[in-house]
Amino acid sequence: MTTVINVLQALILVLGAPLVSGIVSKIKAWIQRRQGASIWRPYIEIAKLFRKEDLVPPSASWVFRFAPKVLFGTTICAVAFVPVVHPSALLASRGDFFFLVYVLALGRFFLSLGALDGGSAFGGMGASREALVSTLAEAPFLLGLVAISILAAHADIAGMVMWTLQRNVFDISAVHILAFTSLAMVVLAETGRMPVDNPTTHLELTMIHEGMVLEYSGPSLALVEWASAVKLHALLALLISLFGPWGMASTVSVWGTGAALLLYLAKVTVLMILLALVESVVAKLRMYLVPDFLGVAAAVSALAVIFTTLVKG
Amino acid sequence: MGLVAIATGKFLSSFSVFLFLTVLLMVVARRISTSVLLFSLQSAIITAEVFAMGVREKLAAAYVVGALVLLIKVIAIPYAFFRLVDRLKSPRDVKASTTPTQSVFIAGAMIYLSYAAVHSFGQTVHVPEDALAAAVALILTGSFLMVSRKKALMQMLGLLVLENGIFLAALITTFGMPLVIEIGIFFDILVGLLLMGIFTFRIRDTFDHLDVSKLRRLRG
Repeated sequence: MTTVINVLQALILVLGAPLVSGIVSKIKAWIQRRQGASIWRPYIEIAKLFRKEDLVPPSASWVFRFAPKVLFGTTICAVAFVPVVHPSALLASRGDFFFLVYVLALGRFFLSLGALDGGSAFGGMGASREALVSTLAEAPFLLGLVAISILAAHADIAGMVMWTLQRNVFDISAVHILAFTSLAMVVLAETGRMPVDNPTTHLELTMIHEGMVLEYSGPSLALVEWASAVKLHALLALLISLFGPWGMASTVSVWGTGAALLLYLAKVTVLMILLALVESVVAKLRMYLVPDFLGVAAAVSALAVIFTTLVKG
Repeated sequence: MGLVAIATGKFLSSFSVFLFLTVLLMVVARRISTSVLLFSLQSAIITAEVFAMGVREKLAAAYVVGALVLLIKVIAIPYAFFRLVDRLKSPRDVKASTTPTQSVFIAGAMIYLSYAAVHSFGQTVHVPEDALAAAVALILTGSFLMVSRKKALMQMLGLLVLENGIFLAALITTFGMPLVIEIGIFFDILVGLLLMGIFTFRIRDTFDHLDVSKLRRLRG
């Protein structure tokens, strides 16, 4: 029964992901007083791209074709670690949070390789920027998770979620606040959202993610787009399960799972509204200010780790 | 009643954690208006703590003080600041002399220091340790803001943060000062703000900028 729920959780994260990005762009459109595209549009686009021809630049090698598949595969692998409605996950006992962080990094490494292999100037520029951002985001991502795992005395995500679930809402400590702040900043950077990267446009010399995928087309592009949507959804779900898991089904039952699913939908909606608000209010940072942004995240997460000594002692 | 007491006690200690967050955001804020908004948020948290204290200790005076904090620090002072920023027409930048990352580390060190400082005190006297540490941290970061920001307006804001810290410390350790003294302090703040507002206008008119690091010569 638990396995069924775990498979269901992974399916929710993977299949619901285009809907999440659709809803975020719809809310952004509303804030800008536009009508906006339908929230189902990402599905239609992905389906359309899968039917199209896959064009490969003549100078590209097998890496270019291989990269989107690795990216999608690693993202799916990361999804299998994230609890949604029940404090367990498909691969929870097979790896810890280090694995989660680096499996995401592996996908990004291959996407950068693919972008370099494509041979366009924008691809190379995007790849070098992506390398900068992901190098700087790695430390706060890891340290934020380390802080929580020290408190929970568990290294796997499901164990950390289980520990938080057994606590009272009022027992939040400084560690949780600091870790949440740094991880939220990391999520913005990792998913290429507004203060770091602009997900809506190809028309800027400042683009990071969009620059990397410029040479891709057809099914490859569909995989890349889908993978980035899944990554956004999975990281939002990770934030929810680490910092606000209350309401998850602690026992395995149909009613409990259903209620937990409804609560999860409510929580993810709140996060999506927050994300859309941040993206509409905050201006994009100049490329040279991105290290400052992530430096603050790193400092906050280092503080979170230091604070665990206070909370325990 | 038992449940209410427990809830308010928990509330007092866990909400002061959010004060740390406002402090950290304040030292990285790049614009004056952001800092003022954060100050308003910080005062709102303190208002909530005053009300929680009033509920727990059954103090009628606490409600009056809470209402005063809400009125003056959450609404009136930020409003006055926004008017001031508007009228001064000076650039919005706070002119920090430390980079954001350095500021966060310094603020973090101060928070750690305040925890270490109140730790022994909190064990002998029965007070919520988180809240008292937050009060000390507000006092320290308030003075840090005053020292490290070159804009005259930010020095006013730093002083107000420092005052928030003193107010919170008094609230946590002695359940607030007598009402008359509290009202006197609020009056002091308002008059002080008024004077400093006039001073910033004078600085701007005589020197054409608000950068206090460049005030080296006397000008009449």
